[in-house]
Amino acid sequence: MELIRKNITLVLIAIGCILPVAILLALSFAQHWVYPHLLPNTFTSEAWSYIFKKGNNITSSIFTSLMIALAVAGLSTTAGFFTSRLIAYHKKKNILLFLAYMPFILSPVIFAVCLKYFFIKLNLSGTVAGVILAQLIIAFPYATIVLTSFWNLRIQQYQMLVHTLGGSDQYAFAKVVYPLAVPMLLVCFFQCFLISWFEYGLTLIIGFGRVQTLTLRVFQFLTEANIFYAALSCCLLIIPPTILLWINKKFILHRVA
Amino acid sequence: MFLEVNNITKNYGARRVLDEVSFQLAAHGTLSVLGKSGCGKSTLLKIIAGIELQDSGSINLNETTISSLRPNERNVVYLFQEALLFPHLNVFENIAFGLRIRKETSQQIKQKVEAMLQSLELTEHTTKMPHQLSGGQKQRVAFGRALIINPPLILLDEPFSSLDVEIRASMQQLYKTIAKQFDITALFVTHDLKEALLMGDTISYMEAGKLHLYDSKQSFIEDARTGVQNEISFWKELK
Repeated sequence: MELIRKNITLVLIAIGCILPVAILLALSFAQHWVYPHLLPNTFTSEAWSYIFKKGNNITSSIFTSLMIALAVAGLSTTAGFFTSRLIAYHKKKNILLFLAYMPFILSPVIFAVCLKYFFIKLNLSGTVAGVILAQLIIAFPYATIVLTSFWNLRIQQYQMLVHTLGGSDQYAFAKVVYPLAVPMLLVCFFQCFLISWFEYGLTLIIGFGRVQTLTLRVFQFLTEANIFYAALSCCLLIIPPTILLWINKKFILHRVA
Repeated sequence: MFLEVNNITKNYGARRVLDEVSFQLAAHGTLSVLGKSGCGKSTLLKIIAGIELQDSGSINLNETTISSLRPNERNVVYLFQEALLFPHLNVFENIAFGLRIRKETSQQIKQKVEAMLQSLELTEHTTKMPHQLSGGQKQRVAFGRALIINPPLILLDEPFSSLDVEIRASMQQLYKTIAKQFDITALFVTHDLKEALLMGDTISYMEAGKLHLYDSKQSFIEDARTGVQNEISFWKELK
């Protein structure tokens, strides 16, 4: 009885997770779907074939999103790794960590409005570089906070041990510290990628509407009441995170544990 | 003398951890350093290894002053309380680690590691990862990793403290055997009275940052500070 109840709960949770995605997928293949019909009146691949048409604006948005997310994830993880080391072994660790939390006190939209003036002055407003920099202001402290826990006493002891065995700082980093950090770096990279991938407020305000990421495109289709193209964009939007989650679960989580 | 430690002093803020510590150690001998937790014995080892810096004093090893050298230039291996095996490397690679630093050829590495594995009775565990080993096996691998580079001095910081009684006894025996086999010169820090007596050719006692070296085991036993007399009384009264 207990097992049946547990299985029913699991099935309900699975349905709860899968149903919204299934509806989105159905919507992306629909042409007309009016109340009170349970299913779309007509199915078509029109929306999906649109992304293969020349001059469509979804493909360029995918590439813009990918470029920004990869740059933000790469830069914030790399910078966060070395910054977290400095913080972890610093005498004023707690104060520095507290400062790293500061960007999260404000909502990203208010934060972006506060920073907009500086981005305009630096000619970064409305550029991909500006959006990357703006997103880094959120992603970099996040990566720093996540990676600070890596630099514990044991890592210090490993480094000392390598030194007493005759290895230099560089050798200790290349042969021990970095290999041990890889799983955590990958998790951090993926999380920063997701932060950037789904970022809306900062991208809209600093990008000035000229940097059209896929997330912005979804909102654009929604305001145009084009739910079928919005559904298509949503489906495309969840593909990279789904792949990352799968990679995370399959290859990385057990190494972190 | 092979190792000469001269007037080493170390302060942590206002607290003096090592107070003018001086001693000498002959080659191929083991000096036991007995002391309670926090008396400064680990700090002394870390300073000799170069992991920490002394405030004053000097250290000479084999007639060379090493106290100003970086830890990787001293050729002094420090063994921590825990085995600290590199978790991403298997037993073979853990033992070969120091040889790879010295850029020895693959053939030399293979030959030396296999001989070491045999000495430490670890041949059947060559490809195992550290998490697949028991506490005693891990410590043996840690020994192998230190011994294979043939360091002139090994510093052991309570290496058996995390092991249970039986494994601890067998590891103590193993240490005695390999110390003889490899002509080891070592400092063996412990807070265990019996272990200090068993492991050391010479024994010292550390208290409040000061080190007292005994000229014989008998004088160590007779000194009331070491706690040997209390231990003897305890067992006598038990009868």
